[in-house]
Amino acid sequence: MPEFTISRRTMLAGSALLLASTAMPTIGSAQTPKKGGRLVVAADSEPRNLNPAIVASNGVFFISSKIVEPLAEASFDGKDGLDPRLALSWEGAADGLSVTFKLREGVKWHDGKPFTSGDVAFSALHIWKPLQNLGRTVFKDLEAVDTPDEATAVFKFAKPTPFQLIRNALPALSSVVPKHIYETGKIEDNPANNAPVGTGPFKFAEYKPGEYYRLEKNTDYWGKDEPYLDEIIYQVLPDRTAAASALEAEEIHLAAFSAVPLADLDRISKVPGLKVITKGYEGLTYQLVVEINHRRKELADLKVRQAIAHAIDKNFVVKTVFLGYAATATGPVPKNDPQFYTADVPTYAFDVAKANTLLDEAGYSRGDDGKRFSLKLLPAPYFNETKQFGDYLRQALAAVGIDAQLVNNDSAAHIKAVYTDHAFDLAVGPPVFRGDPAISTTILVQSGIPDGVPFSNQGGYKNAELDALIATASETLDTAARTELYKEFQRKVAADLPLINVAEWSFISVARDTVKNIANNPRWAVSNWADTWLEG
Amino acid sequence: MSPLRRFLRTPEAIAGAVILTALAAVALAAPLFFPSDPQAIAGPALLSPFQDWSLPLGTDRLGRDVLAELFHGARTSLAVGLAAAATALAVGAVIGTLAGFAGGLVDEVLMRITDAFQTVPAFLLALAFVSIVGPSLGVVVAAIALGAWTGPARVARAEVLSIRERDFVAGARVIGMHPLEIALREVLPNALPPVLALSSVIVAAAILTEAALSFLGLGDPNRVTWGGMIAEGRAVLRTAPFLSIVPGIALVLTVLGVYLAGEGVVETAAVRKSLS
Repeated sequence: MPEFTISRRTMLAGSALLLASTAMPTIGSAQTPKKGGRLVVAADSEPRNLNPAIVASNGVFFISSKIVEPLAEASFDGKDGLDPRLALSWEGAADGLSVTFKLREGVKWHDGKPFTSGDVAFSALHIWKPLQNLGRTVFKDLEAVDTPDEATAVFKFAKPTPFQLIRNALPALSSVVPKHIYETGKIEDNPANNAPVGTGPFKFAEYKPGEYYRLEKNTDYWGKDEPYLDEIIYQVLPDRTAAASALEAEEIHLAAFSAVPLADLDRISKVPGLKVITKGYEGLTYQLVVEINHRRKELADLKVRQAIAHAIDKNFVVKTVFLGYAATATGPVPKNDPQFYTADVPTYAFDVAKANTLLDEAGYSRGDDGKRFSLKLLPAPYFNETKQFGDYLRQALAAVGIDAQLVNNDSAAHIKAVYTDHAFDLAVGPPVFRGDPAISTTILVQSGIPDGVPFSNQGGYKNAELDALIATASETLDTAARTELYKEFQRKVAADLPLINVAEWSFISVARDTVKNIANNPRWAVSNWADTWLEG
Repeated sequence: MSPLRRFLRTPEAIAGAVILTALAAVALAAPLFFPSDPQAIAGPALLSPFQDWSLPLGTDRLGRDVLAELFHGARTSLAVGLAAAATALAVGAVIGTLAGFAGGLVDEVLMRITDAFQTVPAFLLALAFVSIVGPSLGVVVAAIALGAWTGPARVARAEVLSIRERDFVAGARVIGMHPLEIALREVLPNALPPVLALSSVIVAAAILTEAALSFLGLGDPNRVTWGGMIAEGRAVLRTAPFLSIVPGIALVLTVLGVYLAGEGVVETAAVRKSLS
């Protein structure tokens, strides 16, 4: 179980009494789950493509993880942090060239056809590797998938691939879709991408654009007695203030992914019948990062980057921007990661005087107007918090004599400006840590990535030593040695500051007390909800 | 009776004048009262109004002084409103005068262009322009003027159509003045008063459009604007409603003031006309 940081704990302490009072009856009687009922959930976006095998993102998983299942799901106490789903066991060969999955038998697709190893082979070779946003890197050396029998799939790799990486990638990257539906026609245009067919506890029933998605119970589900719910409705509520009102009006049972604004949580936690839950997102940590364009000569100077790091009051950011629902960051791996995190890295305490000294030493003294130089600052528009941090960063930099001019863009324009046109000096980004640095963290630092790849190093940073380290780690099979290499990676990144990690945060759920079995795994909001049930 | 005294006879005009004077005073005094950056963090976040007398209107989500933001926001609102109206009036008056004076093909072309602009809702035009060019103060002014110049152009043209038949214009022609000179130096000044009467409506609309653009995140992010303040406050509407209400009231008062004063000007003009 990953350690929470102090700030999150302090925050929890505030609402602990309240939570305890609502949890008490449950502990007392160990209720037996009740069957039936319709769960109504707030959805803030309407993904166009609902196929999680192609688009491995939380917005898609939130709905389709109930329909399409991965080989394994993240777990608080399972072996390797995993719980079996479509695979019962997984084993990596010593040479790193193959991984063998034993699959669950007697599983049926929603259209009644049996699930076999052929479906896994097809999904891996024809979708995860060539088409999936994350699978492209993790499965790049996947050569073939052997299917000696219907319940065994053997992944063969051209180059040694660390088993630890494959394991960590299973929950998010291994959604299995039916071969018999996808083998004809172009995969990207398959109608099942909008009305997915899977093996999960719920079947896709209906989608009314702008209104709702409806999923209904899969009576043939492999889990014993599961699922408990008859129906899940995703009510489309794009306005963030609407979710809180809908919860209070008892129109919906659950608002996940921080659909209720942080500033409203304190008030809403006092509403009888509602609870605020911070658990269940441990496997989905967002990182608040200052991306740096190293093409700017001032920013290519390590002293300037150190000065910027010293100018940021991380505690203020956590307390004010995130209202305590976050933790300060030390480096590129979040503190709540159980495998790779190390605290043994160079740190940058909030120290305006030191920042000023460093800037003076770097040769950028203040002009007559008190300014040293001007920068263009592009906060990512995806979250309120990234925008607010942009406002804060502008003030923090002003305090050390750096004049940051904010440039606001919409999502598409921001991605183009930062990752294709490099038209930024500093940018505020929210990359996601996905349980293994090789999945989406090292590309924020590594050089040689083509222009236009979003959420990668587009700041022109090049460090041969770090590149070599990343390359070695990606081929190191021994788990302990590989973990040690990523600790070294954290130390080097914190020392050379290709980017500045400021904070780590995740989401908050607000639910009615009647919703049971919430937040019981580290990716709960994007897991299958087979054991979720409604009281009364 | 002087025009000013006549202007101040109606209660609307007095109210409008008082509001506008106060607003101008606030805008001019902002750097005196709040010499430092209004966006600097001044205290604890989300402080309610009237709790701490050094921060009388409280603080926003980052702990910035709401009163300082309100004062500096008045500068932006007024500056944008006046600049956009001035641009729109200037462009509109010149185009209207040229069209009316030249007549024929030039008139047709210029008026069809005006029609084209008038068929697109002004706010959509501004929205599209700012999203393409990117938000900054100058761009916002241009965007608002882009949708506001058609009214003055039409009024100016109508006025010029009657003026160009007057004797003094014929006289100017006879002494051999260049037609362009006649249009801009002789005709335009005489066509101006009814065009200027439109200014109050345009200023008020410009201030509202600027606020709406900022509200949608298309204002200049490096300046405090009332629309931006309302947008910031929206996320915490239930817990700190004052963050949206305070700049909202300022906005309402400003637009009301401009309208009332404009109303007063129209009445004064009407009285003068009936007197003459």
